[in-house]
Amino acid sequence: MYRLLICRAEYSPYRMMTGAKDRMRQKKMKNQPRNVTYSSTGRSVERGQGSHASGWVRGHQAGGQGYSQHLPKYITASHFANARAAEVNSMLKAVNKPAGSCHVFSALPKHMRRRAMSHNTKRLPSRLREGAQKLMERSQQTEKEKKHLPKRRSRRARRRHGNLLLEFNRRQRKNKWLETHIWHAKRFHMVKRWSYCLPHKPTAKTFRSSYRAMNTHALLQDLSYFCCLELQGSEETILRALVRLTSKDTGPTFGAELFLSGSRQGSVHLYRADQFPHGSLGPADFLWRPRAPHTSHRQLWIWIHPALKAVKHLSNNTLCHYSGAVSLSAQSDADKNAIVLSFNNGLFCLALVCPRQKRKRDDEDCINAPSKKLLGDCTRAAGTPVRWGSVDTTITISDLTMEIVRYRLIGPLAHMVLTDTLQPANEDKETVEPSGFWWPNHSQDQTNMKLHQQQTDTFQLLRGVSSTGEIPAGCVLGLTVDDPRLSLPQRRSKSLPDLQPSADECGVRDLTLRGVGAHCSESALWDASVRHSVTHNQMAQQELNRMRSEALVPGSRLAAPPQSRVPVLLVHQPGRVRGEERRHWGSGWDLLLPKGWGMAFWIPLVYRGVRVGGLHMSVKHSQFKGQPHFPHDYPDCPAGTLFQLEQEAELIEKFKRRPPAKRTNYIKHGCLAPFCCPWQQLTEEWEELMKLNEGTSSICRTRPAEFTILRKGNSAQHFSVQEHTIPWSLRVLRQLSVWCRPSRSRRATHPPLTPEVAAELQGEWGRSLMWVRLRLLSKGQPALHAMVCVPTVSDLQLLLKDGRSSGPLEPLHKDHVKNMLKRKHKASHASEGSSAAPNSNGSEALPVGLIRGVWPQPLPSVLSHCSRLTLGWVQKGDFSLAAGCGEALAYVSVSGLLHTLLQQPQEQRGIVLLRNPSSLQYRYAQIVVDI
Amino acid sequence: MVRFKSRYLLCEVCVPERNSLQLLDERAIHHTLRAAVNRAHGDYGSALFNIGVNVKYLNALTGVVFIRCRKAHYRLIWSALPFITHLEDRGQTQNVQCFFNCIHVGGTIKTSQKFLAQYNRQQLHRMLLDCNTDAEKQHVRRALLSCSVGNVKREEADDEEGSDDDDE
Repeated sequence: MYRLLICRAEYSPYRMMTGAKDRMRQKKMKNQPRNVTYSSTGRSVERGQGSHASGWVRGHQAGGQGYSQHLPKYITASHFANARAAEVNSMLKAVNKPAGSCHVFSALPKHMRRRAMSHNTKRLPSRLREGAQKLMERSQQTEKEKKHLPKRRSRRARRRHGNLLLEFNRRQRKNKWLETHIWHAKRFHMVKRWSYCLPHKPTAKTFRSSYRAMNTHALLQDLSYFCCLELQGSEETILRALVRLTSKDTGPTFGAELFLSGSRQGSVHLYRADQFPHGSLGPADFLWRPRAPHTSHRQLWIWIHPALKAVKHLSNNTLCHYSGAVSLSAQSDADKNAIVLSFNNGLFCLALVCPRQKRKRDDEDCINAPSKKLLGDCTRAAGTPVRWGSVDTTITISDLTMEIVRYRLIGPLAHMVLTDTLQPANEDKETVEPSGFWWPNHSQDQTNMKLHQQQTDTFQLLRGVSSTGEIPAGCVLGLTVDDPRLSLPQRRSKSLPDLQPSADECGVRDLTLRGVGAHCSESALWDASVRHSVTHNQMAQQELNRMRSEALVPGSRLAAPPQSRVPVLLVHQPGRVRGEERRHWGSGWDLLLPKGWGMAFWIPLVYRGVRVGGLHMSVKHSQFKGQPHFPHDYPDCPAGTLFQLEQEAELIEKFKRRPPAKRTNYIKHGCLAPFCCPWQQLTEEWEELMKLNEGTSSICRTRPAEFTILRKGNSAQHFSVQEHTIPWSLRVLRQLSVWCRPSRSRRATHPPLTPEVAAELQGEWGRSLMWVRLRLLSKGQPALHAMVCVPTVSDLQLLLKDGRSSGPLEPLHKDHVKNMLKRKHKASHASEGSSAAPNSNGSEALPVGLIRGVWPQPLPSVLSHCSRLTLGWVQKGDFSLAAGCGEALAYVSVSGLLHTLLQQPQEQRGIVLLRNPSSLQYRYAQIVVDI
Repeated sequence: MVRFKSRYLLCEVCVPERNSLQLLDERAIHHTLRAAVNRAHGDYGSALFNIGVNVKYLNALTGVVFIRCRKAHYRLIWSALPFITHLEDRGQTQNVQCFFNCIHVGGTIKTSQKFLAQYNRQQLHRMLLDCNTDAEKQHVRRALLSCSVGNVKREEADDEEGSDDDDE
């Protein structure tokens, strides 16, 4: 019939107070009776409970129904009696329970209090003795309990090696640690991302020095968090399964001859099976093991970003429960498409689902477990399968996450650092008895030794190369090296290039032109048993130190014991492959090691004078290279979408942290999307606009398709010159790239930009976005989510008149939301004044979650909101240390770009305007499409 | 001790219609009181009213109100109570007839609470005699039993703590 609401009795203005004072007060008022009122008025509710953020509410409530509720005219005995009884109860509670302090004797009047009552309960009157006794017991008990509880051990005990390891093992159960975690944690801000603990930024100021390291020396990164998947099976079956995940339109795929030989590492963009160009998943690197003689069995490693793995897990939630529950055989029965399906769904999920369920048991295990250093993926439960076979295709997939350590050296002198650090193993002449170690057995074989000799020679040739960028992109060199700790220099120094010319000029030239031969790419690292043996027979640091102390000449190289041979793989990473400026900038080498050897290689590398970078530097590296970074710049991938949502939440949080008067009013600046870019809406609006322009009355709109991104593979393979072998998308990009240049002398190879050609491209790629680089012509530093706009004719003339012109200004917009809020506020005031009018005219219902200064959710047309049409948004923008001016990387709509280019005069092609979200100033920028 | 001493007026708000009990809230009573004091004692009265008068507790079901005021001038407020004839709230034009019946004046809120408990129990006992039907009697008896001291003591709240380790 009616509701009762209980609210706080006090009429306190300290509603918002927090902290200790509040807690004290709450404790004090805990037992005091609360007000009992009928709910009809509604305001007492608002006032009494501090949890409502709306604050004071006055006058009539829009939702309140006046005083329409009716109570029965006559009172019943039971109702009366119950109300009294409830009141008596609450009063008794208030009277009997002690308020603030819980000493019993405070209930006594002062003249009856005696000294030492709290110690001797007999001094209390007998009616209070019981309670006092109980209290005393409790206080003593807590002391006892404190003794019983596992007391925090002394620091000395905690830091004891075994205990420390146990603690570390416990802490890395939820988020995986890299092998270099401790090293990084002392020097970096760590973040938890993708269920890893990763270094983000050094605590020291190193931005410029890291840039210089990339530019002139070498920067080191630990990329062990990338997930490696191993596929084994015959070549055709693997290729047949994988071909559905990729498209030749984006560049060479798994099946390209160069990659198949195993001498180069390739990179592809993965799509959901048969869904190209939609259903984009993310980029992946892959590496084939070189063909072994007399067998068609192949091994393939695919390296993917952990965000990609996590997203797959999320998107296939239903399937993963299913596949997590059933055993291997049942799972492979279920997939009719064998590998593709398991690749898409099963594998990633299995790896991720299982540890969650077993968490509780792990806790118990770990308490009893001996303190042993954890290697590899320790969040995985012991019984979790890492290997799945498919029945009908004879392919097996294994998850090698954290099994292989991957370090990346970026910079022109990366190869010098490597040649200084790594010493190729010398063959053991005096092998007598076959021991448990892999190398003596391995070196028995004559062919192996020959291969080792060739690899060593090639590795030595690297010293003659002057810059890492000279080596063909993606080269792979297998090697067996000695433990680098044996030749650790006594102090940190910088490795510098040899200035005297190398002896083998011819060999070096051959290396830089042809790359490493396919046979040299073979390494024992591919062999799981060798990896296992190497990992578990590592020499302890203690042993090594003992040897070092016994060495006759301090600092000399130690003799290599038989167990300290490590198979490694060196993989060349292409640098800047697009565009004409700064080619090969940021190229480097990846060093792949078996697990457990991370720190053994890390310290020697650091001792060669490299800088160490974290996640932040990875982002900056790809920015300097002009490449999209995964998952930041992949808005069409699920991982990218997820990232953008997270970023939006983070930015809004940051925005709200500022005091309201100091916040940017994005509405006034005409910035619709300062936090998250509505790509879908942008592409749709551009398409609509183009249709209107054409005048074709094709009003029947096609069904709203997802936007796509026009991209080409990252691999820097030089394509053959024949036109027909060049992938489609690359050809389109090349054309656009040429059209964007304000050229005077156009090469004849490309057709000039005409409306017909544009319309044709439009039909094909109208719904696409395109990755472009923007170089600012004069001043300006672009920021995240800056708008890329189409200049008007007058803007272009302004630029023509004055080359250093700072650009036009956007007129200030009206903040309608503020007015709306104001009106609402006024209306509420008015209704309070004229009191009785129930539920006054419903002013426009404000959307919930409204933030002042940000457009509420259904955005108006993003295209024509400002005085200039919007082309796209900047994904990354900064002052570029390399170019010496502001540079931005952005996605723009392809149809928008074509439209813009068509309207611009020949010599001013590709000029656009850039405007930061927090400014009204437009800046001129030149679009560059890097190919 | 050095402190402001107060008086707690325990009043019963009596209304002719039960329906109007719905309107009873802290603010309405506060305004009503203020108006009454103003009428009875003028500006001086309303100025004193501003110091330390507040409504500590209100039960709309029983119509019981605790009003706290300073000991120095509690008579002023006390004496204004009989002149209240209807509830006055700023936003409301509905004229609710009522009068305030002051049952008790206490020096601490604890004594007032004790008195209220006793008074209510007394009311129930009195009611038990007046009951006409058996069902009513049952109800009242049950209510009486439920508000004994032992019943209150029984519900001892024991706190529980959840501890969780969260670190990297």
